[in-house]
Amino acid sequence: MVNSKEESTTKKDLLIVGFLCNWCSYGGADTAGVCRFHQPTDLRIIRIPCTGRMDPLFVIKALIYGADGVLVSGCHPKDCHYNEGNFYARRRLEVLKQFLPFMGIHADRFRYTWVSSSEGQLWQQVVTEFSETIHGLGSNPGVQGESDAKAMISFF
Amino acid sequence: MMEDKVKTLQKEFLNVFEKLEVVLGWEPGYDSLHATPSFIREAEDLNKLVWNPLCSQNLCTYLVKTLNVRVRENDKKIGICVKGCDSRSLVALIQEKFVPREALYIVGIPCEGTVDWRRLMRFEPSLKDVQKLHIQGPELAVETAQKTYRFPLQHVLEQRCLHCRYPNPIIYDGLAGEPVTPRVGDDQVYGDVEKIEQYSLPDRLKFWEKELDRCIRCYACRNACPLCICRDSCIAETRTPKWLAQRCDLKEKFFYHMIHAMHLAGRCTECGECERVCPVEIPVTLIKKKLNQIVKELLDYEAGIDPQKQPPLLTFDPSEKGI
Repeated sequence: MVNSKEESTTKKDLLIVGFLCNWCSYGGADTAGVCRFHQPTDLRIIRIPCTGRMDPLFVIKALIYGADGVLVSGCHPKDCHYNEGNFYARRRLEVLKQFLPFMGIHADRFRYTWVSSSEGQLWQQVVTEFSETIHGLGSNPGVQGESDAKAMISFF
Repeated sequence: MMEDKVKTLQKEFLNVFEKLEVVLGWEPGYDSLHATPSFIREAEDLNKLVWNPLCSQNLCTYLVKTLNVRVRENDKKIGICVKGCDSRSLVALIQEKFVPREALYIVGIPCEGTVDWRRLMRFEPSLKDVQKLHIQGPELAVETAQKTYRFPLQHVLEQRCLHCRYPNPIIYDGLAGEPVTPRVGDDQVYGDVEKIEQYSLPDRLKFWEKELDRCIRCYACRNACPLCICRDSCIAETRTPKWLAQRCDLKEKFFYHMIHAMHLAGRCTECGECERVCPVEIPVTLIKKKLNQIVKELLDYEAGIDPQKQPPLLTFDPSEKGI
């Protein structure tokens, strides 16, 4: 406990948004909590019904508006509660992951992974790794280059 | 040569005109550097149809946004002229069941490229009284009242045409003119995408911030896109859920273009309409091209080629490895 307090005072908290599927990863995170595994505190969890609900635009919006990282996690492929949700998801998310660097957003700021509800240990590992990567990249300014149009408006 | 093509084009439609509800083609526009879409309902109006390097509009857009295309009881069809790129959009629309193939009479036109009048005027600002223009080998010949100009094609053609791999229509009922050979090989197609990728990550962001900052969110790119078919339900305009604010901010502009791109991932046929209609000349097609490149490498799919296939992001494959 003492350790974690020291850590949180020396290391600035970053904002990581986690989209977790209701049936597997959300349970996995719960398992990790129940088992009292030590976890970094940067993650804010949003529960979604299935990774098939995961619109790639959720990720893009978060990153444009300044979230430091986005983590998506769901059931392992072939284990989806709705049979096929994560089959759709993995195609979309992989395309998105390869697309982000083209627009100038670091691909490591986004990660998708599969964690089932019994894998509390794996969840702890995933979150810790991802949080470390994001801390390595530093905070994300989002999209905010000098806008000429905005300068015009403030001028009037 | 050009006149022959127009004649065959008109004849193709004339032969079956009693079976057609309306014919979509191009007619001369409001000045000598524009052609404009034309909806022909009477047989005698068919001689208004033209074909020249100014016929750049993708008419497939009208099939989903203006006309109600369906199989009719009287068996009347809708006639449409398509270039190579347009025919890919048409294939995509048929794939996704927005228009039934049986309700269309398609006349394909092998195309050597269309002219971007903005680039043309920039290249030769003094150009006026244009009477005729046609493509001759690697040059565009422009005849004015005074003299004949010759311009190298890479300075006056639209960006999409410089990287065009499908100048010949993919599907058609009748063909006007002889098939032409593509201008570029398969290896040169993504040249412009690779140019951006040579920049470092922060520079790419800066590049896009600079380009997209010009956006005035007129949504012309969305409206001209033959595959952007949400109409009034477009999430760029809905308030519930509220994806975009009306705020004039770079974040909003950036995100709008991401919406447009992601909704076309694996569907975009690179017809280049978004870029052509952009009043502030943002290279919007480039974003979609990158997504197409990813989809091609990852899922081995090219949009608008095979009417039997399904766009890969609208389906799945459980046996897939590596993702």
